[in-house]
Amino acid sequence: MPERPGDDRMKRIYIQEEYCIGCRLCEIYCQVKYSKSKKIIKAYKEEMVDILPRVLVEEIGYNSFAIQCRHCADAPCVSACISGAMQKNKNTGVVTCDEDKCVGCWSCIMVCPYGVIRRDLAGRKIVSKCDLCVDEDIPVCVKNCPNEALKFIEKDENEKNMVKSRNGKKK
Amino acid sequence: MALKLTQSEFETERDENKCISCQVCVRQCSNDVHEYDNDEDTIYSDNLKCVGCHRCESLCPTGALKIKERKSQFRTNYNWSAGHLKDIYRQADSGGVLLTGMGSDKPNTVYWDRILFNASQVTNPSIDPLREPMEIKTFIGRKPDRLDFKINGSGKNTRVELKTKMYPQLELSTPIMFSAMSYGSISFNACRSLASAASQFGTYYNTGEGGMHKDLYKYAKNTIVQVASGRFGVDADYLNAGSAVEIKIGQGAKPGIGGHLPGEKVTKDISNTRMIPEGTDALSPAPHHDIYSIEDLAQLIYALKEATDWSKPVGVKVSAVHNIAPIASGIVRAGADFVAIDGLRGGTGAAPQTIRDNVGIPIELAVASVDERLREEGIRHKASIIVGGSIRSSSDVIKAIALGADAVYIGTAALIAMGCHLCQKCYTGKCNWGIATQDPYLTKRLNPEIGTRRLLNLLRSWSLEIKEMLGGAGINAVESLKGNREHLRGIGLNDRELAVLGIKHAGEAW
Amino acid sequence: MERKNKTKKSSELIDYIIIGNSAAGLAAAEGIRELDKAGKITVFTEEGHLNYSKPMITYFLAGIVNLDRVSFKDKKFYSVNNIDIRLNTRIKSVDTAGMSLMAEDGSRYRFKKLLIASGGKPVIPKIKAAGTDGERNRHFNSIDAMNYKKIGGIFTLTTLEDAVRVKDYIEKHGVKRISILGGGLIGLKAAEAFLEMGIDINIIELENRVLSATFDRRASEIIEKKIKNKGSNIYKNNTIKEIYITDGRISGYRLKDSRKMECSLLVIAIGVVPDTGFIDSGKLRINRGIVVDDHMRTSVKNIYAAGDVVECLDILLGENKNIAIWPLAVMQGAAAGINMAGGNKKYSGGFFMNSVEILKVPSISMGMASAEGGKEENIEVLKDFNQEKNIYKKIVIRNNKIIGVILVGNIERAGIYAGLIRNEIDISSVRENISKEDFGIIHLPADYKKHLVVGEGTEV
Repeated sequence: MPERPGDDRMKRIYIQEEYCIGCRLCEIYCQVKYSKSKKIIKAYKEEMVDILPRVLVEEIGYNSFAIQCRHCADAPCVSACISGAMQKNKNTGVVTCDEDKCVGCWSCIMVCPYGVIRRDLAGRKIVSKCDLCVDEDIPVCVKNCPNEALKFIEKDENEKNMVKSRNGKKK
Repeated sequence: MALKLTQSEFETERDENKCISCQVCVRQCSNDVHEYDNDEDTIYSDNLKCVGCHRCESLCPTGALKIKERKSQFRTNYNWSAGHLKDIYRQADSGGVLLTGMGSDKPNTVYWDRILFNASQVTNPSIDPLREPMEIKTFIGRKPDRLDFKINGSGKNTRVELKTKMYPQLELSTPIMFSAMSYGSISFNACRSLASAASQFGTYYNTGEGGMHKDLYKYAKNTIVQVASGRFGVDADYLNAGSAVEIKIGQGAKPGIGGHLPGEKVTKDISNTRMIPEGTDALSPAPHHDIYSIEDLAQLIYALKEATDWSKPVGVKVSAVHNIAPIASGIVRAGADFVAIDGLRGGTGAAPQTIRDNVGIPIELAVASVDERLREEGIRHKASIIVGGSIRSSSDVIKAIALGADAVYIGTAALIAMGCHLCQKCYTGKCNWGIATQDPYLTKRLNPEIGTRRLLNLLRSWSLEIKEMLGGAGINAVESLKGNREHLRGIGLNDRELAVLGIKHAGEAW
Repeated sequence: MERKNKTKKSSELIDYIIIGNSAAGLAAAEGIRELDKAGKITVFTEEGHLNYSKPMITYFLAGIVNLDRVSFKDKKFYSVNNIDIRLNTRIKSVDTAGMSLMAEDGSRYRFKKLLIASGGKPVIPKIKAAGTDGERNRHFNSIDAMNYKKIGGIFTLTTLEDAVRVKDYIEKHGVKRISILGGGLIGLKAAEAFLEMGIDINIIELENRVLSATFDRRASEIIEKKIKNKGSNIYKNNTIKEIYITDGRISGYRLKDSRKMECSLLVIAIGVVPDTGFIDSGKLRINRGIVVDDHMRTSVKNIYAAGDVVECLDILLGENKNIAIWPLAVMQGAAAGINMAGGNKKYSGGFFMNSVEILKVPSISMGMASAEGGKEENIEVLKDFNQEKNIYKKIVIRNNKIIGVILVGNIERAGIYAGLIRNEIDISSVRENISKEDFGIIHLPADYKKHLVVGEGTEV
């Protein structure tokens, strides 16, 4: 099916599973970004508790990786959204949830195959999902990963990297 | 259970105003120092387990942690220092050999810090390395006794041809190489970073006694393969893949004894690389059991040259011990193309503490006496001298070369560049920085991309500094500095030391 | 002769006509516009609201959203996409042979391509009716689909208009308790809204549990308990046998078990059927719904159908079925639109899934969730019920593939299961992970992980 224009050229977040150290600093900085003060100490000590990080770190044994919204080309959450809150921007390809329109029906959670949408019960009943930090030059999770396990690059570039690494892979 | 007399050596100081209980420190400490209490929503730290590696401090997002040495004070006693007391407590508890990691930390004189370099002033103008050619390229290998030329043609068509056949050489873009650190003592990611950086910068790294991992064969052109007493990983492919072969007789941190990699650390990957069964201890015996005399060494050297078709330099690595000068001479006469000398303060993954700190001599004195002896005997050109054993900065490199080395091996410095904080607990295999460990949870922490980048930065910055210092002394090629003792002066050294080093005291002039 | 006068009003040939202004219809319009920016698109709807989302009706009812927020496309949608929208225009008949249709006002339209996305209409059962106090109800002996609207207080809840009227009726008559005939999805969603409004409810359900089509016994029990705790009643294995009318309005009813109940407002919510009555089928194959292939084509060339009105591939049954849910309607509409405009987009099939939250207990069910193991071959069921926290998880597995899931109380990351169902992934290698509380992508079989994220995420 014809890919929506711009999808291939857009930068997305990719993860190198073998370098994720499970420190969860990505989650912390995501929370800070969505806090009121955006200052880490103040946010945690005074504002916190219910801010949901939009990236989540999965861990089993010594394997771990961070996963967030993939901003899919044919996003199932956009199809499932009953209120029109979930939209894919035609230019940037970023999928965002309009919090004013969201009614918390959880249909998107039901269809997201990556399970990266969460329920935000702190205030109004709405969903919480990564929006690729559209107002920053580089997503905060990528910027603050201490081991450079998260990369913010264009799709084609990533495919080149992956072919290279599969050939020279040690596993 | 009887009272344990050991005390915490470090304490983690946590600023409660800054701590946000994010638990990054809890997750990252492989010694389980920090623990999160859900009910109190605070983190408690068990200082007895802290080894002072700074992992938690480095990763703390708010800078709430500080690692301090916990100096519980004994009554002042210049003879029985706290260190001695603690060692005895440990031995009384364990009944075993006290192990330690990295190089000797004892307060023996560091001669590098008592040697000063020269600079040009009036008679010999300085050179600006950014504007004029400055050659730090170095060749390792045997140099011919003389050069014979053939002159063809005449007049305008005169062509000069080199008749002398050159011995195989290693070409280094800078007189710094990565010293031998085996895969097993350090992680694969660390090896890969070293190999990749050496390859990109145009220098060499050394496999150590762990063999060459199959995924590192692509860096073979920049690899010196080591043949150690355990002969791990040594086969025809291995020898022919590397660019040079190094027979390891000894290592600065533990002269005279062999090595031991415990069976738990011999994973499938290491088993394949070292060519030993998985889970068995990797024991390197003290001597090579086929080298019991200098003649045996000569035999091995020639055997290796034969096996590699005489196409690569074959050298020998020894620890700097008391009679290093005649030993080196013997090695050169036995046919070695290079002699690598590892000094008292050389690093290691694991060694008995008492041998590390008390056996061997500092490399500064060793290189001076070896260079002197070989020149006296007229055989200095037959082998390159490579020195290691705590080269900590570019100025140490300059001084080493001026004392007579062709190039240096850096080990500890490379690991520090990759993140090592010198906590000296390598032998536990719990290196929090992913360097001296095989635990897959920990090895992830060293991202080879980052490791390579940092090593390249280190090589680059030292090379630039070397060029600056050479230029400052009016020298435009590192060749001109080699063994050039005139560029050095000692400071705060006694006559004997100055004599061994072969340098004047600061203030003395020609 | 007369005919000619009528047709002169509109014999225009429209490139694309879409019947239905909801999920499928508008997704199709967008699909068409992706490939064809110029062709004329006309959308007909029998309703009067410019745009609203049917699933949002109950949110409107409960006061969570007002009339401004019920739309799922913004006001400029029609102009930006150059769509000619005709409100209040019910299509009376479609001539599949002549490629034309006629509206109720008599105007006729010809089309090059037609999309039928008329959705569903509520099922109204025939129920005996009687006047009270001896009043003879000359008009009604029973209520049915034709006359139910004439009796005050009897409503269905499938359009926004219904919701507006129910809201007004509640206010006007100070209704404190509402009866709902049907404990299925619409009934429960309505119940949720009424409870939110502080109104008690009676649910009358034919089966032995609410949400019988999508939940199993345990899951239904959790919901039923919550409802009953609030002072509401559920009458299971029951139905309404007779309705009592006073002064032209409902005043009560008699259950199957002979009990008589008072009632001032009754919502009939026993189901919907595809709205196909207006189609002169001819060659157009219609079962329960309009039969379409994987490109949303009907059996008549250039006529497509999508949404709640169709029957198409249910990937779990392996055969055609009418699955009337929003996400599938959108996907079908999108495929139809692309195909109508000359593109080639396959609709790979769907399966039932639903998300509903009752009294703060969220629940999601998908696929063949009510199946139980043992009786049927190759079916295995994993269950995990935490009574204290009211959390229930059930997974139905057939031939090592997940075919049904129920999650009550904790619906985190439910979509991962949807992905496993849709892609028919063999989960035998990760069986013991499925029941884990933190089940996630990291537990999935390695080659599915690669499929899922290669090029778009995890480098595995």
